[in-house]
Amino acid sequence: MTGPILSIRGLRKSFGATEIMRGVALDVHTGERHALIGPNGAGKSTLFHLLSGHLAPSAGEIRFDGRQIGGRSPQAINRLGLARSFQITNVFPGLTVFENIRLAVMRPYGLQYAFWKFIDHDRRIRRETERLLELVRLTARASTLAGEMAYSEQRSLEIAMTLASDPKLVLLDEPMAGMATEETQYTAQLVREVTQGRTLMIVEHDMDVVFSLSDRISVLVYGQVIATGSPDEIRNDDRVKEAYLGEEVSA
Amino acid sequence: MKTAFLCVAAGVAALLALPFLLSQGLLNAAVQMLIAALFATAYNLLCGQGGMLSFGHAAYFGVGAFATVHAMNAVGGAGLLPTPLLPVVGAVFGLLLGSIAGWFATQRTGTYFAMITLAIAELVHSLAPHLKGLFGGEAGVSSMRMPAWGFDFGSTTQVYYLTLGWALLCVALLYLYTRTPMGRLTFGLRENSHRLRFLGYNVHGLGTAVFAISAMFSGVAGGLQVMSNESANYVVFDPSLSAAVILNSYIGGVKMFLGPAFGAAIMTFFGYAVSDLTQSWLLYQGILFVLVMMFMPTGLAGLPGMVRRLVQRFGFAQVMPLVALSCGAALSLGAGGVFLVELLRRVFSQDYRAAIVAGNDWPAVTLLSRDWLPGSPITWLVPVALLAVGAALAWLARRRRAALEAAEAVDAAAPTALEADAIVKEGLA
Repeated sequence: MTGPILSIRGLRKSFGATEIMRGVALDVHTGERHALIGPNGAGKSTLFHLLSGHLAPSAGEIRFDGRQIGGRSPQAINRLGLARSFQITNVFPGLTVFENIRLAVMRPYGLQYAFWKFIDHDRRIRRETERLLELVRLTARASTLAGEMAYSEQRSLEIAMTLASDPKLVLLDEPMAGMATEETQYTAQLVREVTQGRTLMIVEHDMDVVFSLSDRISVLVYGQVIATGSPDEIRNDDRVKEAYLGEEVSA
Repeated sequence: MKTAFLCVAAGVAALLALPFLLSQGLLNAAVQMLIAALFATAYNLLCGQGGMLSFGHAAYFGVGAFATVHAMNAVGGAGLLPTPLLPVVGAVFGLLLGSIAGWFATQRTGTYFAMITLAIAELVHSLAPHLKGLFGGEAGVSSMRMPAWGFDFGSTTQVYYLTLGWALLCVALLYLYTRTPMGRLTFGLRENSHRLRFLGYNVHGLGTAVFAISAMFSGVAGGLQVMSNESANYVVFDPSLSAAVILNSYIGGVKMFLGPAFGAAIMTFFGYAVSDLTQSWLLYQGILFVLVMMFMPTGLAGLPGMVRRLVQRFGFAQVMPLVALSCGAALSLGAGGVFLVELLRRVFSQDYRAAIVAGNDWPAVTLLSRDWLPGSPITWLVPVALLAVGAALAWLARRRRAALEAAEAVDAAAPTALEADAIVKEGLA
């Protein structure tokens, strides 16, 4: 593990008078799986929005891969190698699953304005799309409209679309929400495999997944990171117990 | 796929054969239909595929028209721009204005986007009468089609083939566009532009490009109209043209590639055929639009697909009576409605009011070459009977459909013979 790929210092975000992020400081090391946990309303999703360019920070610094990215546009941040999934499923509901993934795959090949060639003739795109379909077990659903699939299948699609740009840092926002136990296990294993050689930052409510998957965990409470450490350290941290995990750990 | 290809091939063959089958007047109408179809297809790239509802597409049609008429006068159909290639000028200027307008309009989405397009079109519309040098004032700008490539473009037939060539080329290009990476992204723009941003795409750039391409092909349509009319007037910037292309596209069906072209061709034809017979054409157009939106959101082009799905579900023999009933209901209701509207329009017209002499019975009105007395119950019974028959047929059709659906549900719930057998055996054991 070399230096931090993502380094957050004094990050603040307020909506009017309401301060959601109150000076977050956090380092994510290159190659690690870093989980972000915290009670509802702690600001986990807001932090992801700030990192991915969906929101601009009110103050503070976000350095990704050596570059300051706070306040830049989502597409610019994505092109630097930071891809995210969404907590509320965010796919193209009226298009087929295949088409959904293909749209995500096209971008790294620089095909935004290409109107002089046919998409079906591009073998690289098709192969990569089929590989991702296979990876998230959606091959059989390739021609189904994304909006007509079960919620958990849409979550898998979301993961495939996030991985399509071959990002250095992946942000997954509750990827297992709404999944059955077997699906959760498969998806946890999948996340472990596909983040091999990448850095992962994940928000998840399933504590089994969080503690078995992550190398380090940060606890966000009320807009501040109160602790960062290995799963064992977090389990035994008094402040964390008090703020968040208390009952679960003692039980 | 194969059937679709055969249908298109048959359609093209029919279009090529039209000049041998139609009178000059009808051929002229066919030219207007082709232009409207191309305009609607270009519009639908933005509206149906890109999900951006523009209320001001007349601006790009009009700019293409004026650019072409000025080019006709400037180069006289000679040199590098012979007459058949003149619509290229319309395309270039449509693309230019579309790029600028699109850059502003696509800063926003939804209602705000629509309002910006409306504002830009209104700007051009109100500016045009004042710029006499450019738009020719009330008289407009006129020109002449010069001979080129061995054609003199003097006959309607030659104009028809010129228009057909351009329309087919542009519609084909617009179709091929949907198979390209950018064409696929256009659908993504409609479905979820927010997500595209997080996949690394420049959504504003993409929206501007789609807007500009749509405006470019609209400009070609405007250019073709000028070539056919040999003149252009600032009336082409009228908001009614922007409205017509929206109505035509939705009546035809924006979710299918050829739907808008189909809708525009039909509506232009009816406009041509009916506007001589009645002054209420706009009313009928509006009623038709409302009815299509209420009962066939997929548009007229969606009807065959709807029938095909019903046939797959219930079988041909079950569905055909349903189709017959529906057609009968539509015809009967349509006839009754038209009869009533025409009767009322005549009775309320100023000429008729002036002809009434106080104390006498109201004079008869002429409709379908017959005299109808407004005082006679028979006159009103005819439309009422037509409407009643139509309503009854529609009710029967609904009931039949409900019965089919109920039968299907029972079939699905009832155990099959084998299962029933197993249940009986279980009971015995």
